[in-house]
Parts: sequence; structure tokens; C-alpha cells
Amino acid sequence: MKAVEAPVRKSETQIREKTEKPWLVVVLDDPVNLMEYVSRVLIRIFGFSKEKADELMRAVHQQGRTIVWTGGREKGEMYVNQLHSAQLTATLEKAE
Amino acid sequence: MTIGPTIAGGLKLVPEEDEDWLILLEIANDGDSDLSQRLATLMDEDSMWEDIVVPELEQEFSKQRLDVMVEVVKAKGEEAEAIHIDKESAETWYGALNQARLAIESKYTFGPRELISPGEIEDPEARSAYFRNDFYCTIQSLLLRYVMDD
Repeated sequence: MKAVEAPVRKSETQIREKTEKPWLVVVLDDPVNLMEYVSRVLIRIFGFSKEKADELMRAVHQQGRTIVWTGGREKGEMYVNQLHSAQLTATLEKAE
Repeated sequence: MTIGPTIAGGLKLVPEEDEDWLILLEIANDGDSDLSQRLATLMDEDSMWEDIVVPELEQEFSKQRLDVMVEVVKAKGEEAEAIHIDKESAETWYGALNQARLAIESKYTFGPRELISPGEIEDPEARSAYFRNDFYCTIQSLLLRYVMDD
């Protein structure tokens, strides 16, 4: 007879994260922060490639704001904290 | 003032007149203590940003301004020929310069540089702030190019 694996119970946090809408880290454009600096910060905080960071930086500049990360609230807050520490205007929003 | 890269991978600021020292001292003075609060305005109340993050960031930003001020005052007091910004202190200098520029922008709302014609700024205080902002931006660009490159 084949053994049946017991179902793995997911923690409440895991279930909540699966069912809740994700949180978005949004970076907003400002007339002060230099474009090269914004790319550098995105690479340092999120580990993006140079190409990806430049693409997001251009989106911030051209559209006024862009989503740079999606996921759980706690981690999103940590990223926004790091972005604020780098003096970039950023916020955390819940996906609609 | 002459500014240029050094062989050691840093940046050298050489003040030549009293006004040069004054503008370097203005870096810390232009920055204000409201930046962490301004950044927090977009966060919702549930995040407890005001209670937890704002005080931490204010401390961090304040240290940047203080470190730059101390370095400039020390160099001036010792009648040093130049101020050297090495890799270790580049982030601090960049941060203090950025704070100064963000505070100037918050006060005067100049907007994107390419859209400003300084000759059209009538208020002398605002015009002076515009040129300081421009000067700080030049130092930041040099820091990114010669010191902070990875």
C-alpha cells in the first residue's frame, strides 16, 4: 500500500498572505533626486539588475510614479523604510 | 572653488575665497529637520510610521548634516587647503547635499531644473537658493561619477 502523506498545515500568516491582496511599494518622482542615484538605490535595496533598475527609474520619471515591488505588508514596509532612508519619495499601497 | 577627483578615488574640494567656505557651511544649514516627516505623509496610520520610522530617520539625517558641518568647520578652523571626500564619507556627503536640495525644493518649488530660467527668479533669496541648489547638484554628480561608482 502506498503511504499517504499527511497534508501540510499552512500557518495563519501563510494563508492570510495567499488570500489577501498584495501590497505595492511605489516610488514617486521628484525634481531633486538624480536619475543615476535612483537607479543605484533600486539596485542596492532590491538587488535589481542595472537594466531593470534603469527601466523602473525611467518609468518613475516619465509616469510620475511606478510600482517597484509587490508582496506582503511587513516586507513592503521594510523596503519603504529603506527607500525613505535613501531620501526617495515612496509609499506602500494595497493592490486594488 | 575648485572641485576634482583624486587618484585615491575620492573628491577634493578646494575653497579659494571666503564665499566658498560660506557655501560649504550652508549645506548643513539648508537641510531641515522636516524631511523624515515629509516622507511619512504618504504612509497610512496603521503603519505606525510617525512613531517608529520618523524618529529613526530624523536621527540618521541629522547625523549626516552634523558630520558635514563638523568636517567643514574643522577644515576651515585648521585653514586646510582642501576638504577630501573619500569612499567612506561619500554617502554622508551625498545625503547631506540631498537634504539641502530637498529642503530648498520644498521651500521654493523650483521644479525640474531644465524648466527653470534663473534670470526670471526675482526674489534674491530664492535666486541665491537656486544657485546653491545647482552647486550642490554638481557636487552630487561628481560624487556619483568618481567616488560612489561600484
